[in-house]
Amino acid sequence: MPRIGEDLQRYLRTEMMPTVWCPGCGHGNIARAIAAALEHLAYDPERVVLVGGIGCSGRTPFYFRTNALHTTHGRALAFATGLKLARPDLKVVVVTGDGDALAIGGNHFIHAARRNLDVAVVLYNNSIYGMTGGQQAPTTPVGARSTTSLSGAIEPAFDAVELAMAAGASYVARTTTFDVQEMPLLIADAIEHPGFALVEVLTQCPTYYGRLNRLGEAPEMLLWERDQTEPAQAPITREEMAAGRPIGVFRREVRPEFTRSYAALCERLGAGADG
Amino acid sequence: MPDAMTAEVRAARTMRREPLGVRLSGRGGQGVMLAGAIFATAAMYDGRHVVETPTYGPEARLGATKVEIVLSEHEIAFPAVEKADLLLCLSRDAYVKYGRAVAPDALVVVDETALPTSADLPPGLVRLPLRAVARELGAEMVTNVLALGAIVGLSDAVSSRSLERAVEEAVRGKDELREVNRRALQAGLDLGRAGRAAGGGWAGGRAAVRRD
Amino acid sequence: MRLVMGNEAVALGALAAGCDFYAGYPITPASEILEGMAHLLPPRGGVFLQMEDELGALAAVVGAAWGGARAMTATAGPGFSLMQEHIGYAAITQTPCVVVDVQRGGPSTGLPTLPSQGDAMQARWGTHGDRPAIVLTAASVREAYDATIRAFALAEQYRQPVVLLLDAVVAHMREPVDLPPPPPPSRQRPRPSAEPPFGEHPFTPFGSGRAVVVTGLSHDDEGLPRTGSARASERMLRATEARMAADPALGGLTSYRLDGARLAVLSYGVTARVARAAIDALRGAGQAVGGLELTVLWPFPEQGVVDLAGQVDAILVPELNLGQMVLPVRAAVAGRCRVESLGRADGTLFQPDDLVAAVRAMPHDSPVGREARHA
Repeated sequence: MPRIGEDLQRYLRTEMMPTVWCPGCGHGNIARAIAAALEHLAYDPERVVLVGGIGCSGRTPFYFRTNALHTTHGRALAFATGLKLARPDLKVVVVTGDGDALAIGGNHFIHAARRNLDVAVVLYNNSIYGMTGGQQAPTTPVGARSTTSLSGAIEPAFDAVELAMAAGASYVARTTTFDVQEMPLLIADAIEHPGFALVEVLTQCPTYYGRLNRLGEAPEMLLWERDQTEPAQAPITREEMAAGRPIGVFRREVRPEFTRSYAALCERLGAGADG
Repeated sequence: MPDAMTAEVRAARTMRREPLGVRLSGRGGQGVMLAGAIFATAAMYDGRHVVETPTYGPEARLGATKVEIVLSEHEIAFPAVEKADLLLCLSRDAYVKYGRAVAPDALVVVDETALPTSADLPPGLVRLPLRAVARELGAEMVTNVLALGAIVGLSDAVSSRSLERAVEEAVRGKDELREVNRRALQAGLDLGRAGRAAGGGWAGGRAAVRRD
Repeated sequence: MRLVMGNEAVALGALAAGCDFYAGYPITPASEILEGMAHLLPPRGGVFLQMEDELGALAAVVGAAWGGARAMTATAGPGFSLMQEHIGYAAITQTPCVVVDVQRGGPSTGLPTLPSQGDAMQARWGTHGDRPAIVLTAASVREAYDATIRAFALAEQYRQPVVLLLDAVVAHMREPVDLPPPPPPSRQRPRPSAEPPFGEHPFTPFGSGRAVVVTGLSHDDEGLPRTGSARASERMLRATEARMAADPALGGLTSYRLDGARLAVLSYGVTARVARAAIDALRGAGQAVGGLELTVLWPFPEQGVVDLAGQVDAILVPELNLGQMVLPVRAAVAGRCRVESLGRADGTLFQPDDLVAAVRAMPHDSPVGREARHA
């Protein structure tokens, strides 16, 4: 077990703190885990770009001393695609929320996964829109309450892990903010993976999801997260997936990665031959 | 040879067209777009100003399609062809669609299979067996080049030398196509010149003035 | 000398300007730019990327620009509407990039293959909020090539997205042009910089030697959204706009046979060519008519139009829309002479005769403009 979190100051822009996140919000734990992962990998902050969308998760890049690209709602992966192709040498980590990645940005999410673009995506899933005040998200479970589903959601929810696997992601994992030891290791693993790597992190929104669904404050919600999930080993069956919310690494495959395939194409067409 | 045309041909058109509006039309797949590019390239080789506007979209693949070329001694302001001075129709639907927007004394060259049954045919119409002759050469796909030869034989709208060069350019690197296109061009020129000797086409025109 | 299509000239102009990144999405009548770049960029080691939609295309372009690329996209009507959010993003993040919009009839799917000039105002005001805007246009294949090169230069100079508005006629026509072969690819390397990354300071992409924070939120010159950053963003937007307004090199007007003219036709894009034909015809008939052509729509070349209003009795503004650029013309003229709008949005070009008739119908005496008249 590597030691993690000794010198997060190198990666965290502490002068921008306190964060915008509510007391008890899980997002700070995820941000800390990302910093710990970068520290573990000993990346030069100047060689890392943290790309965020819009929403609570999207604020993450401001708290980092890495390069930060805080983009538009849902489009973080599209910005990241252009950036990564232009500068394959930079490490690109995308932070996104469940509404950001799976509703407004669902198209970019599946296409970045399909291309197997070499980015790590940390998806903060709190099952609700927090920044805008607690509206229903594509991840809100059937029956759960939000300000736009006060009688309980009737739409089936997306499962980000299944979606990413179906779309072609080569690394897919899920964890929770309860699993504070495991989270940075999974994120580090995803960052090192040569391809599209998703880490879905189930996180608590006590302000909206917790309150509207009577789940209590952060400590109760963390325990609820623990009880909702079950560690599992890849390969996971459809039955296991449907039965509950397994956590762990569900896929880790090395497949042709987009920027490398593109470089190979250029080389095949003679790029660089004449300087 | 083309006995049909003498009947339709009216008085020789001697007017010098400036700018000259050309519309080549046919059915998608007849190579009309390529014909437009070759014709415009030939005009460029002649040292003239030229603007070529192909048709885009589904029209270019299904049904009637056209390409328009404006030729001029001067810089071309208006780039579109409102009333064509020279119209080629390789298919019946192209004739129906584009046959009317022509200048009053336009030269209209129509494949014999493209004529509608209607008797309302313009006076300057020249009917030629373009597709049939191309088939005799063994390749209906060269109808476009053959047609270019024919309209140049009739009109000298561009010089035959430049047309030949533009056709060569179009088949460069495609050795298997060169010979049949050469033959198609020559057959077309012969067809056009015969038609002109019989009274079709333009007796004058700028190319006649500038012949070298 | 060879025959080159307008869209092809845009691709070649981009290479001449050092463009090494293109992201786009297929759309008529702009697809030849996409296809051209797909063909041209990879062998040069540049990046060609076909995105999943136009939002993503401009997002990728902006991302690539922050990776140090000279980046562009091209689209048409509906795609340009989708790109508006990221034009605003590029504006507030001071990201140099080029957006080509081959206009087509609208609104909505409209007239996919037919010419229009309906995006003149959208190119200026399409994104929410205020921003400085540079919008170029072109009336020939050669101009499309030159304007593309210029768009990249202006994007770098002002650190702003630059829009090139074409129409389906100019985009699809082929004209003989003599273009130099594209220069060998040269990737601009990020340079180390100690200056703040925003405001009046030069553009420093990621990897320049220190971390940069980029956000679409209002931000200070360090890129951070903090107290006072709203004022900082406003200051940047105002300063950029003021620099554009004070730049004589931006220009934007070409006159055509204006000597002694008492009436003028003010036009742009393909309509400028129709106007030239009409002016030739009218001059031939002894009428004192000339033309003023816009090559830069925005910032609107106001002074040149004010000067024109001092010379002529009336200005006709024909456009393939229902009267867009006539609005800044009227504002500039401010009653000094009559201004008439001649608009059409049915996918049909004006014929020279239409403009001849419209000019002939213009009274020369009254100083006050009439209501817009639509063809």
